Amino acid sequence: MRHFVVVGILVIVMAVLTYVGLDSAGLMPVEASAQSVSIDWLWNWQIVAISFLFALIVVPMAYSMVIFRRRKGDITDAEHVEGNTTLEITWTVIPLFIVLTFAYMGAYSLGETRRVDPNAMVIKVKAQQFTWTFEYPEYGGFFSNELHLPVDRQVVLKMESSDVIHSFWVPEFRVKQDVVPGRVTEYRITPTLIGSYKVRCAEICGTSHSYMENAIIVEDESVFTAWASEQETIMLASQTPESLGKILTVKNGCVGCHSIDGTQLTAPTWFGLYGSDVPLADGTTVVADDAYLAESILNSTAKLVEGFSPTTMPAYTLTDVEVANLIAYIKTLK
Amino acid sequence: MKKFFSTALAHGLFWQLIGILVGAGLVTGIRATMGLSVTAKFFFTEPAWVLGGFFGVLFFIAGSGAVSDWYKWARGIDTPEHHEDHHTGWEKYLSVSLDHKVIGIQYTVTALVLLSLGGLFALIFRTELAQSQLQFLTVEMQLFGQNGPQLYNTLMSLHGMIMIVSILLGVAGIMNYVVPLLLGAQDMAFPRLNAFSYWIAVPAAVLLVMSLILGGFDTGWTGYPPLSARAPVGMQMFFLGVFTAGWSSILGALNVIVTVVRMRAKGMTAMRMPILVWASVATSIIALTATQLIGLSFQLVMFQRLFGMGFFDPAKGGNPVLFQHLFWFYSHPAVYVFVLPGLGVISELLPVFARKPLFGYRWIAMSSLGIALVGFIVWAHHMFTSGMNEYLRVPFMYSTLLVAIPTGVKFFSWVATIWKGKISYETPMLFVIGAIVVFLMGGLTGPPNATVSTDLHLHDTYFIVGHFHDTIFGGFVFPFFAALYYWFPKATGRRMNETLGKIHFWLMTPSFFVMTLGMMRIGLLGMRRRIADYDPALGFDNTHLVLTIAGFLIAISVCVFMYNFFNSIKNGEKAEGNVWNSRSPEWQVPSPMPAHNYDQPFEVVGEPYDYGLPGSKYVEFIAPSKNTHK
Amino acid sequence: MSHTQDKSSALGQGVVIFVYLAVLTILEYFVAVTFSAVSILVVVAVIKLALVMYYYMHIYKLNEESDSDTHSYSYKTGSNRLGLWLFLLSDAFVFAGLLTVRINLLGLTRPHLNQLLGLGVTAILLISSFFMNRGETLMANGDKKGFINNAIITFVLGLGFLLGVVAVEWPTAASEGLTPGSGAAGAVFYMMTGMHAFHVFTGLIFLLVVINNARKDVYSAEKHWGIEAAAVYWHFVDLVWIIFYPALYLIGKLLA
Ligand code: HEA
Ligand code: HEA
Ligand code: HEC
Ligand code: CUA
Ligand SMILES: [Cu+2]
Repeated sequence: MRHFVVVGILVIVMAVLTYVGLDSAGLMPVEASAQSVSIDWLWNWQIVAISFLFALIVVPMAYSMVIFRRRKGDITDAEHVEGNTTLEITWTVIPLFIVLTFAYMGAYSLGETRRVDPNAMVIKVKAQQFTWTFEYPEYGGFFSNELHLPVDRQVVLKMESSDVIHSFWVPEFRVKQDVVPGRVTEYRITPTLIGSYKVRCAEICGTSHSYMENAIIVEDESVFTAWASEQETIMLASQTPESLGKILTVKNGCVGCHSIDGTQLTAPTWFGLYGSDVPLADGTTVVADDAYLAESILNSTAKLVEGFSPTTMPAYTLTDVEVANLIAYIKTLK
Repeated sequence: MKKFFSTALAHGLFWQLIGILVGAGLVTGIRATMGLSVTAKFFFTEPAWVLGGFFGVLFFIAGSGAVSDWYKWARGIDTPEHHEDHHTGWEKYLSVSLDHKVIGIQYTVTALVLLSLGGLFALIFRTELAQSQLQFLTVEMQLFGQNGPQLYNTLMSLHGMIMIVSILLGVAGIMNYVVPLLLGAQDMAFPRLNAFSYWIAVPAAVLLVMSLILGGFDTGWTGYPPLSARAPVGMQMFFLGVFTAGWSSILGALNVIVTVVRMRAKGMTAMRMPILVWASVATSIIALTATQLIGLSFQLVMFQRLFGMGFFDPAKGGNPVLFQHLFWFYSHPAVYVFVLPGLGVISELLPVFARKPLFGYRWIAMSSLGIALVGFIVWAHHMFTSGMNEYLRVPFMYSTLLVAIPTGVKFFSWVATIWKGKISYETPMLFVIGAIVVFLMGGLTGPPNATVSTDLHLHDTYFIVGHFHDTIFGGFVFPFFAALYYWFPKATGRRMNETLGKIHFWLMTPSFFVMTLGMMRIGLLGMRRRIADYDPALGFDNTHLVLTIAGFLIAISVCVFMYNFFNSIKNGEKAEGNVWNSRSPEWQVPSPMPAHNYDQPFEVVGEPYDYGLPGSKYVEFIAPSKNTHK
Repeated sequence: MSHTQDKSSALGQGVVIFVYLAVLTILEYFVAVTFSAVSILVVVAVIKLALVMYYYMHIYKLNEESDSDTHSYSYKTGSNRLGLWLFLLSDAFVFAGLLTVRINLLGLTRPHLNQLLGLGVTAILLISSFFMNRGETLMANGDKKGFINNAIITFVLGLGFLLGVVAVEWPTAASEGLTPGSGAAGAVFYMMTGMHAFHVFTGLIFLLVVINNARKDVYSAEKHWGIEAAAVYWHFVDLVWIIFYPALYLIGKLLA
């Protein structure tokens, strides 16, 4: 009996210590969305349960290991105890009860994260190797590689992928949703904390999966509106081939692979590309003139750049005018 | 060296090479006559490599001689029932043997080799992860037609799959060596099938390694399309390799089930079987059936790549999520394939070192079956964020959480078993204790993943990576080491060095805790899985460095083990008797185990774990005179 | 044998079961072309499955008491039987997986296929199962010659089925636009028939082996596990087709 009392006390002490330790360790990133509240609430209860169950097993084990260790020279066996049906039933039924409670809580908190606000703003998301493109239908449908969101307003992202599976995840928002080619998946979020975050692609999608991160800016409603209107105006005012080309590079996600400032990403940089000598995989070099760029855009494998894989760049269907605009834009990058 | 070239392994590998050339040449020839391209980046075209890989497997198995008896049977020639091994010494283990003990050791050693290889890959990519930014796997570097980040992906994916194959072989190793001994059988039910199952795993491993050289692949071990439909040729070798390893697993499982059903000693009723036998049956039920689905899912992607069949291609009316259902229908139950034998080893060894009966034998036996069966209906918990039908998520959450109950029964029964025991701490027992605590950590981090709403955050982060390294180490790696230390004297007649064993344990366990707890922590804070590089702004650099160091310490401890293992075979302290004072039948006869197991059959006369019951006996050998052998 | 039957009643039973199966198949076909009720098709398929498993594959033999001497032929045959059935169980998961793929991708629609050809090859396979059963029964009664003759007929019919699918049905479908690369329907059709055809092919090899061995007098009335195994495997291949035929040819609305 004495053993049970001691172990009981130790279990409680250990459980409390574990919980307090974990709780103060700052396990989760900041809570920046309405949806994360119910997730964190559940997570907290899970930590409670884990601390308790861990202590419940480990403490009596450690206790037995110390107290009931075999003394030197003792070669006898221990007492013959085969089992105890009541005990077995107890430790079947109580966990069953715990588990059902948690499943219920899980369903409840899932429901909370899915709560629909009919006034939610719709944003279209296109995921592709290795960038995200956001389209704002409420503002004339401009494109952006940064996701700006007004604080405290629900948005629903309608997400599509043009190549492989990606996954939209913002750790501070908690929720995660895959983006699957051939279907539209939905992601509902209500940002509650002004700040900048990053959407991090959480499903492996190829070589540069690690770098598939785009900025998210949660800002005051008024700041957001100002930004969005400005983008809308820029788009409407864009008439020159260069600026139209720039928009196309955002829309088609070219800048997910090609940098415009000389940094090396998945693909050759466009900075200073025009007019330069491009070394090809077959050992020859070619001058990056208009014809070469046009060919590379429509059929990038025709002349493979040295050191790059032919399967990386997707095939695009672009009109002649669009290609010309893209080339015009690339020419400006020096 | 000359001896080596006469072994089945050498023959097999030679013929595999020929097979690859023949298969690839065949396709290339056909393509040439059809006017199609005949060469590609990796010399042969993809279809050529695929047929080559496949032929390689067939040639290996024919060339190694593992099917020569079947070939004789097919021609109506009878073969003697008992095969004596032609070789002695180490060549025996590189040659085709029909003895389950030899095959068990072959499996085990192959598993250790793959563990080292997979571990080596882990060390390479862990080194890259020690700091943010790319240090040596850079975008500019090129190896095997891959740049740094691609190579990271290949190594990471291969690490996952090679480790999993290593586990499957390790499981088969333990089951092969121990189950017939525990049952009192002379051998497995189908010795030739047994040899086949082992030998087919060797070309499978070769194919997996080939995938690294042929451009690699960047999908993770899960191989989700559409990405896997676009990856380099290495993907196909990976698929073929896993497919072939699957055969091994399926046929091995079949053999175990038939052996248990048909080959038990007299008096060994279901409820008197050693608990590890129950665990092996539960594992084998899963491996026998579910494995087909991973084979099928990979096969479909293979065909999609080869013939443009649009199973998972949305542009052709296919469905990428369907692949995930097929894949996880196996790959979830598979995790129980890994752990059930491990948990069986824990249950088998605890009574020996605590000198007390296994608490609640029946409950533990039934919980293994329970875990196996419930394990079949939980697969979609890997797909909570996949975009599958939403109404499926809650039912799968419930079913998944139910697995906690039979697993809990085991834990509580283990605690009750050592409670008031007389516990001693030889190396096997240390690993058993380590296994329980580590598996507990892994197990308890399962329910948060299983609960849909928290999984929306946890999915595809290092939290999951921490979860499964815990479950796999606790449920398989620790028990595997325990089993090796424990049955080593049975196989060799010598024991492994205790001091080195303790160093192994005390180096590995704390490092391991640091590694997985650190993984879980950064995972919660936003570290995604399967990334070659992470945002320095996240501030994970220090933790990652610690993880890498911990990973290396684990590797060092494994090296200590390897030294101990191979050195003790020749130089270990002699141990021919009942080293652990166990009641189990295999310890009642001298070690190493005689060639045909028990020279006298035994009869089961009592319960397996009645420690502390004076005068009780589990088995009684039938005196030769009373031997009813016809 | 616990289910001992004299030769003529065993052969008679084979005929009766064959007639049942044939009638059910015709029924199935007419249900499909007239009012296409999925539930009826499922019920018919299940009945056919049960008939084949019990009367042709003798699943009850798994339960047979065997000799207690573990080295005897009959004890080993018992183990072999269990092993074979476990293998079939495992294999069945592949086909179940393919069926799942078909249901997931095509739902209640089906590709455009040549109905007469489908019915034709189905009939050929069914008849081959009848002769296989007949051959095995004869062998169990010591009639080696009878076995060989029936097994050869089975082999020829099986080959006919294989060629019917691979050399006639595939080109026909392809010429009407259903190719492996044409879409989900094509992919499913070629994969399902292809995997099945592969099993037919292995079954044919197995048949060749036992026919050859029978000629060499390897088998006797008491000891002919090889023949039993070949027969059970052959019927299993038939069993799969019993499901795949309606799943591909009969169920659902015709795809445009
Ligand atoms: C050996 C392997 C192993 C084992 C045993 C387990 C055991 C469990 N796993 Fe794990 N798991 C993996 C290996 C394993 N897992 C792997 C490899 C992956 C990643 C795959 C990939 O994507 O690459 C994974 C991923 C994974 C996921 C998907 C996560 C994601 O990607 O989003 C989930 C979700 O439900 C999950 C849940 C569970 C649960 C509930 C258990 C349960 O079986 C645990 C049960 C045990 C306990 C709960 C502890 C003991 C019980 C008690 C003390 C009783 C009382 C307890 C309660 C009342 C809760 N696992
Ligand atoms: C058996 C299963 C198993 C084992 C034992 C391990 C062991 C280790 N694992 Fe791994 N791991 C997986 C199964 C396993 N892992 C799986 C399934 C994945 C998922 C893959 C995916 O996402 O697709 C994964 C993923 C994974 C990741 C995540 C990668 C990512 O998402 O980007 C990491 C990161 O740290 C990691 C690290 C380690 C480390 C440091 C070890 C260490 O314990 C390794 C210790 C080293 C050794 C055991 C080798 C020691 C021996 C030698 C050094 C001798 C060498 C000599 C010769 C070759 C002759 N593993
Ligand atoms: C997923 C990555 C990816 C995306 C997205 C991408 N590209 Fe590329 N691109 C590459 C790679 C890799 C190469 C080099 C290999 C080659 O030559 O095929 C390349 C080569 C090029 C080249 C030749 C560059 C040189 O240095 O010679 C041009 C021009 C180009 N791409 C334009 C575009 C345009 C325009 C878009 C968007 C409409 C785009 N790319 C989108 C990966 C990408
Ligand atoms: Cu997109 Cu990872
Ligand atoms: Cu799982």
